[in-house]
Amino acid sequence: MIAFVMVLGWATHSRGTTFKDALGREVTLNGEPSRIVSLAPSITEILYFLGLGERVVGVTQFSYYPPEAALKPKVGSYIELNVEKIISLFPDLVIGTVDGNKPGVVDLLNQAGIQVFIVNPRNVKQAIETVGIIGQVCGVSKKAGLLTSRLNRRVTRILEEIRTKERPLVFLQINLRPIMTVNKNTIHHDLIRLAGGRNMTQDEPITYPRISMEAVIRERPEVIIISSMERGGRFEKARQEWLKWRSIPAVKNNRVHLIDSDLIDRPSPRIIDGLEAMARIIHPGLIMD
Amino acid sequence: MEPILSLKDVGFRYDEIWALRGINLQIRTGEILGILGPNGSGKSTLLRIMDGILIPQEGEILIRGKHVSSFRRSSLAKEVAMVAQENHFRFSFSVLEVVLMGRFPHLKRLQFEGEKDLDVALRSLSATHALELAERSIHELSGGEKQRVLIARALAQEPKTVLLDEPTSFLDLKYKREIFHLISSLSKNQGLSVVVVSHDIDLTAQYCHRLMLLKNGSIYEMGEPEKVITESNIQAVYDCPVLVDKNPATGRPRVSLVG
Amino acid sequence: MTDDMSSKMNRSIKRPLTFARVRGISSVMFFLLLLTMIISLVLGTAEVSFKQIINIFSGTIPMDDPARLVILKIRLPRIILAGLVGFSLSMGGVVFQAILRNPLADPFILGVSSGSAFGAVLGIFLGFSFNLGVPVLSFGGGLLTICLVMYLGSKKMGVESSTILLTGVIINAFFTSIIMFFISTTADDRLHTMLFWLYGDLSQSRYGQLAIIAPVVFIASIFLYSFARDMNLITAGEETALQLGVDVERAKKVCLLIVSLVMGLVVSFSGLIGFVGLIVPHLGRMSFGSDHRLLIPVASLGGAIFLIIADTLARTVVSPSELPVGVITAFMGAPFFIYLLKTKGSQWSRS
Repeated sequence: MIAFVMVLGWATHSRGTTFKDALGREVTLNGEPSRIVSLAPSITEILYFLGLGERVVGVTQFSYYPPEAALKPKVGSYIELNVEKIISLFPDLVIGTVDGNKPGVVDLLNQAGIQVFIVNPRNVKQAIETVGIIGQVCGVSKKAGLLTSRLNRRVTRILEEIRTKERPLVFLQINLRPIMTVNKNTIHHDLIRLAGGRNMTQDEPITYPRISMEAVIRERPEVIIISSMERGGRFEKARQEWLKWRSIPAVKNNRVHLIDSDLIDRPSPRIIDGLEAMARIIHPGLIMD
Repeated sequence: MEPILSLKDVGFRYDEIWALRGINLQIRTGEILGILGPNGSGKSTLLRIMDGILIPQEGEILIRGKHVSSFRRSSLAKEVAMVAQENHFRFSFSVLEVVLMGRFPHLKRLQFEGEKDLDVALRSLSATHALELAERSIHELSGGEKQRVLIARALAQEPKTVLLDEPTSFLDLKYKREIFHLISSLSKNQGLSVVVVSHDIDLTAQYCHRLMLLKNGSIYEMGEPEKVITESNIQAVYDCPVLVDKNPATGRPRVSLVG
Repeated sequence: MTDDMSSKMNRSIKRPLTFARVRGISSVMFFLLLLTMIISLVLGTAEVSFKQIINIFSGTIPMDDPARLVILKIRLPRIILAGLVGFSLSMGGVVFQAILRNPLADPFILGVSSGSAFGAVLGIFLGFSFNLGVPVLSFGGGLLTICLVMYLGSKKMGVESSTILLTGVIINAFFTSIIMFFISTTADDRLHTMLFWLYGDLSQSRYGQLAIIAPVVFIASIFLYSFARDMNLITAGEETALQLGVDVERAKKVCLLIVSLVMGLVVSFSGLIGFVGLIVPHLGRMSFGSDHRLLIPVASLGGAIFLIIADTLARTVVSPSELPVGVITAFMGAPFFIYLLKTKGSQWSRS
């Protein structure tokens, strides 16, 4: 079966449009791709956001948003992709990210004649741009343009409001035990910055450093945000844990908040929702409609 | 006089196989008994039974007239002491510490050794001519030195009977003689009864008061060395033709291989 | 020999171990432990001066003061936990090395650690809290392992050392594979938590936990100490010990059971911290000899000191970040272990 597909791929001439992906590779497509495999949950979200849900024929394990996406065939997890499954779906385009997806997989897929387009959004601005790029590659540039300008407007509105405000010191906790946070090389940091805060651990050498409780007490953040994958439960307990340390300004002023990690972990359209949520936490009283 | 140790119709089996059967034996105070026999004849098993480590399925063992089962483990250790064939010390102890281990049955659970214990230990060491080794580590000693220390430990238990399992197997000629000399003087001077298991027919014939010849778990012959060490007995038990004559220096039986 | 000679000898030969000596050396070790604790209190990410510490303990600082919270709520319980855990691990190492007659034994050798680890990983997977659910499951896992090992490792002739060792190895392998399964299929933040636990984590120490651990450890250590002389004799050979009057079976069973229970409890709060139970007993033996009546207190207190130092390093070396304490003990322990093998290896391989 693989041999058959490979012959097919070779036989198809590069008569269509050529795009350059985030790795500088040239990807050629004949017309609009109609069978798309997504190799990351964020990409799945973008495809549905652009109204291309019906064209999606395969997704990775944790693609739960929107809910319809969970019904699509699974091609493995973000880390372990099932190449045979991908090939068996006869996709005309596979979209993946730089992290997680191994280069060996890309080569294998290319050998099978399948076009692989890699995106690499590293901050909020690039996340919005990726919506446009994917829209272009999939032939819905106009719609993508409308959607991205709407997203950009929401970002600009926040930036304007926080422009004159003071930036409070923010501590973002992404793991419970051990306590883990983010440095400046993360999209989370970008969110904090755009939302008008200062990331307490931005200069840490490790990207997702483990931090001691004492460090947080010493730095005295004004806002603590706990990123959680569930409502209440363990993470609510984590919030309760912080309430013991009344010397921390964030605790004393009752500014320990939970935020849905789905909104801030993925470079997808929902990250703007995350940005707004964070801005509301860091600067309560912001006017956004 | 009451025998210090007596075995009546003792039988022992490992699983299905009888290692010893019908053993009748009485050891008198101050006596040296030698146990001979080929491998697998039950010598070590017999020794372990005398020490109370193995419980025979048949027969009974009496220590100074009392049943062995009536003794607690620690009381038994004050009657009978054994020096086993192999002794591996996992961790390093000094010679004095090793000999003081022999005082275990005399001390209560959380009690530390006192003057008397130290005294007994030192006397035991001097009896085995190992006193100068007291501060050395047991791991540093030669085979002969270690053997003397272990005998000293056995003596520190202040037993009435000492059991020795092949005490001279790995020793040089000089030390073989030394150990048996020691055994002899211990029984003479301290009235100890000694039971020695050995492969060395000549040596045991030389130093023991009585000998026991074991074959396939039964006593083939027992008595004075002259009675036990005969050509026909050796042939029957060891399946090996020999010549038996008298050692010109001591008058005890001497065994020589033929052809 | 004459009485005159013997008394001369008495004076020149080193006395055997006395209670006074045990008490004396243990007191010195205890003092060192207190010193280590005090120094560790001063060190850490948040700067707290020695003067502040004195003020905290004399009560002249307000309740809300951050320094007070750091010292009393973070550092002190953590240091105490490190001390208790180090004490237990080392004591466990001494007992296992004696009872199993194996210088390479550590308290985890019978698989109690992997059973506890399995319980903890399961608890983390199910989202249980670290105050109740995870320690309970962890201890349960440890208990289960002990029962399995005792049951499988006992034969007609009683608890035989080599069989029990083998059983421990097999159980270790079994539970480790289950743990690997959990690790490989968990992708979210629970993964980090599992891994962090598996490397040892003393950062979540609470006084409530200490109130449970401390009395158990204390009582267990008294019990085990009463078997100290039995252990001396057992290391000289099981048959030797038997013929000297030791109830070997009873000693083995009781000691192994008590130590395993303590291990199960301690591990359920601290995670897996290696090398302490292996190295410190040997350090103790090299310094003070193999008599367990001295070795047990010395090695246990030494283990407490060792782990407190390791934990302090873990939380200061890459401050404000933290290393898992198991990494530090490995760094401290592995080179020493290699040295041990080189100097004593030949002695140990003589079986």
